[in-house]
Parts: sequence; structure tokens; C-alpha cells
Amino acid sequence: MTTRRKMLKQTGLGFGSIALMSMLTEEARASNPLAAKRPHFPARAKRVIFLFMKGGPSQVDTFEYKPLLQRDHGKELPFDKPKVTFADTSNLLASPWKFKQYGECGHHVSDLFPHVAQHVDDICFLHSAHGTNPAHGGALLKLHTGSDNFVRPSMGAWVSYGLGTENADLPAFITICPTLAHGGLNNWGAAFLPAHYQGMSIGNASVAAKDAKVHYINNPKWSPAQQRMQLDFVQRLNLEHLSSAVDATPDSVLESRINSYELAFRMQTAMPQIQDISGETKDTWRLYGLDNPVTEDFGRQCLMARRFAERGVRFIQVSHSDTKVQWDQHGNLRQGHAEKASEVDKPIAGLLYDLKTRGLLDDTLVVWSGEFGRTPTAQGTNDGRDHNPWGFTMWLAGGGVKRGFSYGATDDYGFYAERDKLHIHDFHATLLALLGIDHMQLTYHHAGRDFRLTDVSGKVAEDIFL
Amino acid sequence: MTKSTAWIISLTLTTFAHAEAVDVSAGREHWAFQPIRRPALPEVKNAGWVKNPIDRFVLARLESAGLNPAPPAAPRDLQRRYYFDIIGLPPPPTSALGDPLSIIDNLLASPHYGERWARHWLDVVRYADSNGLDENAAHAHAWRYRDYVVRSFNADMPFDRFLVMQLAGDLLPAEDYGTRCEQLIATAFLSLGPKVLAEPDKMKMEMDIIDEQIDTMGRALLGLTLGCARCHDHKFDPIPTTDYYGLAGIFKSTKTMETLATIAKWNENSLATPEQEKLRDQHAVVIDAQNKVIAAFIEQANQALRLNQKLEKLPEKPEEKYPQATQAELKKLRATLERLALTAPKLPTAMGVTEGSVTNLPVFLRGNYETQGEVQPRHFPRVLVAGKVTSLDEKTSGRLELARWIASPENPLTARVLVNRAWRWHMGRGLVATTDNFGQLGDRPTHPELLDWLAGWFIENEWSVKKLNRLILGSATYQMSSQTSVETRMKDPTNRLYSRAPLRRLEAESLRDTLLEIGGLLDKRVGGYVWTFENYNLVFNHTSEDATTYDSTRRAIYLPIIRNHVYKPFELFDFPDPGTVGGNRATTVIAPQALFLMNSPLVLRSTEAMAKRLLADDTADSGWRMERLYERVYNRPPTVQETQRALDFVKHFAAERRGGDAKSDRRAAWQALGQALVSANEFIYLR
Repeated sequence: MTTRRKMLKQTGLGFGSIALMSMLTEEARASNPLAAKRPHFPARAKRVIFLFMKGGPSQVDTFEYKPLLQRDHGKELPFDKPKVTFADTSNLLASPWKFKQYGECGHHVSDLFPHVAQHVDDICFLHSAHGTNPAHGGALLKLHTGSDNFVRPSMGAWVSYGLGTENADLPAFITICPTLAHGGLNNWGAAFLPAHYQGMSIGNASVAAKDAKVHYINNPKWSPAQQRMQLDFVQRLNLEHLSSAVDATPDSVLESRINSYELAFRMQTAMPQIQDISGETKDTWRLYGLDNPVTEDFGRQCLMARRFAERGVRFIQVSHSDTKVQWDQHGNLRQGHAEKASEVDKPIAGLLYDLKTRGLLDDTLVVWSGEFGRTPTAQGTNDGRDHNPWGFTMWLAGGGVKRGFSYGATDDYGFYAERDKLHIHDFHATLLALLGIDHMQLTYHHAGRDFRLTDVSGKVAEDIFL
Repeated sequence: MTKSTAWIISLTLTTFAHAEAVDVSAGREHWAFQPIRRPALPEVKNAGWVKNPIDRFVLARLESAGLNPAPPAAPRDLQRRYYFDIIGLPPPPTSALGDPLSIIDNLLASPHYGERWARHWLDVVRYADSNGLDENAAHAHAWRYRDYVVRSFNADMPFDRFLVMQLAGDLLPAEDYGTRCEQLIATAFLSLGPKVLAEPDKMKMEMDIIDEQIDTMGRALLGLTLGCARCHDHKFDPIPTTDYYGLAGIFKSTKTMETLATIAKWNENSLATPEQEKLRDQHAVVIDAQNKVIAAFIEQANQALRLNQKLEKLPEKPEEKYPQATQAELKKLRATLERLALTAPKLPTAMGVTEGSVTNLPVFLRGNYETQGEVQPRHFPRVLVAGKVTSLDEKTSGRLELARWIASPENPLTARVLVNRAWRWHMGRGLVATTDNFGQLGDRPTHPELLDWLAGWFIENEWSVKKLNRLILGSATYQMSSQTSVETRMKDPTNRLYSRAPLRRLEAESLRDTLLEIGGLLDKRVGGYVWTFENYNLVFNHTSEDATTYDSTRRAIYLPIIRNHVYKPFELFDFPDPGTVGGNRATTVIAPQALFLMNSPLVLRSTEAMAKRLLADDTADSGWRMERLYERVYNRPPTVQETQRALDFVKHFAAERRGGDAKSDRRAAWQALGQALVSANEFIYLR
């Protein structure tokens, strides 16, 4: 900094803008609060792609096969239901879908996910996930922030706070087409963490992926050359303003702001390039289902996620959340779940395949989850299921987790997590551990005390580590 | 990263309220629980610098550290600082530089003062126009509370009264209808919190709402995190769970919600005038009469049906069997009823609380209402009442007593917390930096004597916020420059001693309002309803389609505050989370802020309007225009060198543009210049 200041004084701002800008660019990189940081211990995964299935996909209709549920269809649940439920349910409802075994591990997957089923040998199923809140809002917040009734930083924000980003032109945390409902931006917010760490949203759930953009990322009026000219002028004003300080030790915040313009300018160029998938091969398009209107939207999100992952973004969230009722089939289960699954099955399988063939899967952790699962008992007229935060399935792939592995289980019917229970806090602790972060040590001091993503809980499920 | 792991708590099941481990009388030793003392004014060497008592406290500390205060700010810088601090708007372009006290007094008398200072308070009370959380229902009447806060600041309502109204306005006597309305509206303070409106566990929902009220009241008014004591004795402050449930009983005895049935609805109090009520009653009579007419008509038609068709009893749907003419007549009667129902006069209502049924709550062990401990009579936290047990009336909730106790001069926290807030809003950092936490885990005051002196002075001056504003604004401490010697910076690197003025960044609202103002687009009318949404309706649900628009040119304080989806420019420029108490806004520098200034429609629209204004007079010369522009954006004329350089920019930009039409190229170039000026640091940072 001193050198530059001296230089400014000596030259009276008389040097060319190219030299000036290259200096600024260097400084911006050096002072970036998002600069990559070392983890607490060697990381198994360097980045996360979180495939969020909003509404609550049913575990007993997708990835957790329950033969007794099939056998006892129509009978009463042989144990008590939770005292407080979101809605009333009646007797057991067998899954309307057939389950088949796949891969060497022989994991059962229903007919809803024939493409993902081809990758079971790369997947680590967590069948004992459970949360605390049976309503969408509370459950989304719990999953994303660890708290269902206080405003807390989201897990992506914690990860970017802990690890920064490997790409100086991009934020550490990007969320593609997130839902504004049920907590909205709190689900990707930084809360009391510094704002650098919040997720940058690209569009939202009511915007088609092909039209989704970062806010204010392009200028409708000035050409890039005009804007560069204008920005050079701004920076000139800023430098003069800086050097006019009587004591010549201006506030670092003024310097940060100068740098933020350069980062913004680079981001403005980088973002559209990453989102522009026209350079991808036909095969890749087909792989993600971009050639089919049913899978096009989610496929594009998945492909963008891979492109961000390749460029060093730390935490990428993809949301399957359109403007309808998503996976929330209180009724109309057969049609609803079939439709939802058909939209995501191929893109997810494509993403797994693509990451693997590019060698990215080894250090990229893919997470698949809803905010909860669904009850094995029927809601309404035997074609619906209620919310179930007491036991559901998430799955992980890549990033240092066992392959073709199943962890934990619910009871015989799929209602309650039973063996190796994994609470949302435990999931968060495990996620951080895979990234090389000790969840007990990743703290932030705020309003007089240290906060953690896992609050006062969290147990790492080490059994799933490779 | 903070390495400390202090917040690792072993929650053992033995930490129950029975075995009350909290030593309340030992806890009272904490500085904030001590009575407010009035310290003597310290002696200083450089007495000539002192403008009022504040300066003695600040200077004494500086002198003992061997430091000099920074020189006074340049008059233009100070003027700009005053305008933004007091009314949130820039000085008019050609405003003369008066003496500080007359500028201060003029600005404090401006109706825009209330808008600026109300917004500070709205941060504290987590004001929002929608519920947020799970079901984003519209608080369609929250604006009444917002306007009440603006009016209260403008009228300099004594702050103790202001607090009592917000906690218990519904229980105060009112001399007239207008006062009664204000009092009812004020209680929205307790209703504005985010609620899980679809919570299936109704008892949990109710206790969560009460917890949010206690937590907000604690942090906003007392600087205490009372909410911690819901599940266990407070780990750090002397608040046992028994005290928590003693307070919770007061709120349990208060009616906050109209219904808890999903989707739950909060209570609204009627603001109807007797005339309006009379009209409503008259209308109800008409509706009632029409109902009777219809009933009689049906009765008659049924009889006719039975007689004509010789039926023993009526068919299931008799109406379908009526003759055509009878059916048509009935339809007409019902249409009239429907029309009457639609035209029923709507009575004005306001979010707010009222009395419920008086209840004492038991301790809920670990916050779980299914495991109950001993019943706690409603009472105030013992650490704050010097051991005196408050006995509350059996017939009322005790909320009014609570309000009066909080706003009393004997309460050691309230006045301290408030003067500290005002200090924070003027000086950028509180004397206690953790403005919402005065407990063990909060920061200690940097200037404890000054804090106590101010609190005592404030009480003596009848809790007048404007007087407090004037005192701080008129101090030599406030009037220092933000620039100081290298030596001082080295010795006071974080400005803990107030050796200079802080560098102030425009807050989100001021930034947005000023952009519109310099484009000549800002509508400065005060107060009123700008947002149209049916009360309780979802602003948006799972669709993520938020139809809220922000294209109003009214001042920013009147734009809707939608939880879960705050207006983007606000979100970018550190608007606090509108779901929690926030008395200490952050000031971050992030790249998306730069994108906003580079590319947003608001900036482009404002700067285009600015360029049009500048070029409106064809005969004016460029030098004159440049002066106008600098005056409007920076409140100062440009230097000769600046003018030259800016004109060069305009020339080059127009050449680069080469749109074909010289006039539009020139306008674009002036716009680009204006945009550059508002993007630069001098615009957004106040020295």
C-alpha cells in the first residue's frame, strides 16, 4: 500500500490507467476476505454441490426400501405416531413404485430414479436423517441454518467463512434458483457473519434457469469499453480522494471499496461466461437432459453447478423448487412424485457421471436432500403422505465418503430414524468434517458469545468416511 | 476466526430450575445492574476545546492517553454530516453554511427528522410489513405503527412515555379518540415479531411467540438476552428460569393472537370512531333485515312447495324444486345481500395486543411445556428490582406495571441502553459497543462515567431525545474531523477513545433517497399508506413470486419491508435483518454493492434524470453545469483541475459512444459522469 501511495504522490496521478488498474487488481486479490483459507485438518472434500429437493421427497418411495411396508399395506402403524404432526394420517400406505437392486452394492432404488440408480456404487445413503420441525418453514431453516426459530448464518455461509474461495473473481457461495418461501434469503444468508459470506443468488425459484441472473450483473446502457472508461474515472476520483487525506493514512475501508469495484467488474465478465453453456458439447447437453423440456430446467442448474465447481466455488446450491407444490404430495402422490422425479433423475445422474469422468467427484461432495421425508402412513385417500422430519433419507456422493454404502436406518416401516441416528446438527458436523473443518472450532463471536453452525450439538458420523 | 470455544455448554439434565444455581445478589455486582450514578465532570487541561460536558469526559481520556483531539471538521463536511445524520438527506445545493447550532436546530425541527430517527427505532423493534419465516403473511397495517414512530420522534415525545405506550398503550387512559388510537397502534411493538404461523404444535407456537416478545423487549429496552433463560438458567447473566416464566406469565396473560389455527392470525385492535361504528352497526341492521327477508321468503316458498306438490316432508334440496319465478326472485334477494355484505363499511384496525386471561405459568423444564416445574407468580427479573418482590394485580396481566417499571428512572438499564443507542447512531459506535447486550457477555463501556452522566442527564431532561441529539451534535467531540495525525492513529487505532470522527458511510435508505433527490425525483411527502396488500394474505408463498414493487419515489422509510426477501438495494447495503433486534448496523464493503452502482435501474434512472436537468438549459456553459453537478453530488464546487478533467471525460465518453446523434451522446456522457461521481467514495462516505 505504501508503495502505491508514494507513487501517487510522486506522479500526481499522472500515470496511465493500465498500470494503475493492474496494481489495483493485484491488491484486490491480496486483500480479498474470501481468499482461500486452510482447513483445520486435511480435507476430504474441497467443495459442495447441494441438490435441494424442496417439499420433502418420500424416503419410502425412493431410496429406502421397506418390505414390511409393502406387506402390511392398509394396516395400522404398529406403534405410536408423533404427538404433534403437521396433518393427520391413517394406515400404512405401500409404495406404489417397484424397487429393484442395483450395482455391486445391491442397493434398492425405486422406479422413480432409474438413472440415479445406475450410480448407487458411488453413493453413500444416510437413511437415519432426522430433524425437529414438521412444517416447511421450520424444516428448511433447520436444514439450511441449524435453527428453526432464530436467524442464523446458513451452512454455505459458514463454509465460505471457514474456507473462502479458490477463485478471486467469484463469491464462495452461490445458490441457483433458490426458493424465496419458507425462510427465503435466510436460507442462504450470512446473518451476523460478515456479508461477504452470504450466498450470491442467481435468479429464484420462480425464474427459469435459462433466464436466471445475478442481480445487476449486466448494464443495459453502457458497452464494456464505456463502462471500463467510466470505472477508470471513478477509480481516479477515489485515489485522489484517498490521497487528499491530510495525514495520508486513509481508512482501509476506502481502499477496500476501490478494490470491490474491480472485483465487481471481473465478476460481471466471469458470471455470464460461466452461465453460458453454449460451448458445452452435444453429448454433455444430452447427459444433463437439456434436450428434453422435462429435464431442461433442472439439468441446466446441474450443469451450471459443475461449471462453478470447476472454477473453485466452494458451496453451490441447486434447488429443485418450481412455482408449484414441489415434492409436497399430501395428495396425488403417484402423479406428483413421478413428475418431480422425472425432472431431476436424469440431470442428477448426468452430474454424477460428469463429475466422475472429469475427476471432480473425488474432491466434490454432492449432497441430495429434502427438508424432511414423508410418512409411510397415508394422508387422505391413499394417495398422499404427510411431512416426516422424524426419519428420512439424504444421500452423499464423492468428496471422501464411502461408496455404495448405507448408513443408519429407520424402523421397519420407515417412520422414525432408529439405527445410527443422524440429526440435522450431526449432518452439519459431518459435512464440515468432510471439508476439513472441526465444527466445534468454526466459531464466530457475536453479541457477546461464540456461535457455531451446530449450536451446542453435532456428532460427526465418521463411519461414512472413506 | 475466533479461536475461543467459550460457548461450549454441557447441558446436563441436572441444570433444572429447581436447583437454582443463579446467585441473583452476586449477579447484581455487574456494572449494568448498578444504579446510575452522576459523576462529577472531569478536569481537563485544554478547557478551551470543550463545548459541553460530553467533551470533558472524552477529552480527559484523550489527555490521559497523551493524545489531542482531531481538529474541527471543515464546515462543509460538518454540514453534510449534520444533514445525513439528522434528516437522512443531503443539504440543498446552495445552502449557506450557518453556525452549527442553528443548523442543528433547523434540522431537528424538520419533519424529515422523524423519518430518519424513526428508522433507527424500527431497526431495534424488528419492524416489517410481512411475517417472514414460514408463512409470509402481510402485516398490512404495520405502517400505522411506523407512522406513529415518525410522529413520536417529530413531536419529541418523552421516551419513557413512548416506551410505556408500546408495551401497554391499550391499558392507558386516553383523553380523546386520537390519543386512544395512538396508544393502540403503539402496541404493535409486541406484535411485529416473526411467527411460525403454520406451527402444528399450538402450545409451542404460543410459547415461541411469547419468547420472541420477551427476547425483543429484553434486548431492545434492557440490553439483556432474557430469551436464554427459557430452557435453562441464563449461563452468564443472573436470570434464572423462574424469572423468565415470571415474565412469560405477563405475556401469556396478554392477547397477541386472534387465532392459532393454521394459518394463525395476530390480533388487530379496532380504531373505529363512534361514527364509523354507528355506520357499521346500521349497515349490520340492514344486512340482518335482508337475511330475515330471505329466510321468510324461503319459509313461504317451502310451504308453497309442500302444499302444491302435496309432500309429507321437504325434499333434500327444496330450492331446486321451486317454480322458475320463485327461484329467480330468491336469486335476486341473495344478490342484494351479497352486495350489501361487500359494501359493509370496513373499520380501520391496527396490529396490537390487548388483555387476555390472567395466567401464571409454571417453569417449563428445558423449555418443554410437557415437563412442568413449579408455578411462578408473574414478576419482574429479581436482579433488576433489588430483591424486592413485585406483587402484580390478580385481575390484570401486569403488563402496564411492567411497562412503568421498565420506563422508570430507577431501572438501571433502560436509560443507559437508550442513550447508548443514540450515541451509537450519532458516533458510529456505542459507548457500549454491543448495543443490544449489556450483560456479562456484552462489551464493557469505554467511557462508563460519560454513559452514566448522559443517562442521568437524559432522565433529568424528561427523556427528550431531541435534547439528547442536540447535546451530542453540539459537542466538540462530534464536530471533530475524521482525519488526524499519524501518531494519534497509531495510539488509538480503533478510535476507542474518540480521538477523531468516524468515517460514516451513507446507510441504505439515505443512499437510495439521495440518488433520487439529485435526479430531482424524490417525493418528500411525510407519512401514509403506500403499499396495498390485504391483511394476512401471503405476500408470496411457495411460488417464490414476489409481486411487491418498489418503484415508489416516496422516501425509503415508506417502502415495504418484506421479510425473507428484503428489497435488494437494502439487502446489499447492510439493512439489518428485519426479524431480529438490530441496533448496530454493519458497514460492509462487498462487490455486489459496486454492481448496484454500476448497473442498477435505480442508479441509471436517477443519473439520467440528473443529466437531463443539467442539460435542460441549452444556453448554459459547461463550467456552470459542472458546478451544479458537484454541488448536487458533493455539496461543493469542483476545483479548476476537476472541472477540466471531468470535461475531458465527457468529451471522450461521447466520442466512445458515437451513437450518431450528438445530442443523445452528450447526454449519455453527462449521465456517465454523474454516475461516476455517485459511485465514487466521496459521495457515499462522509468525512
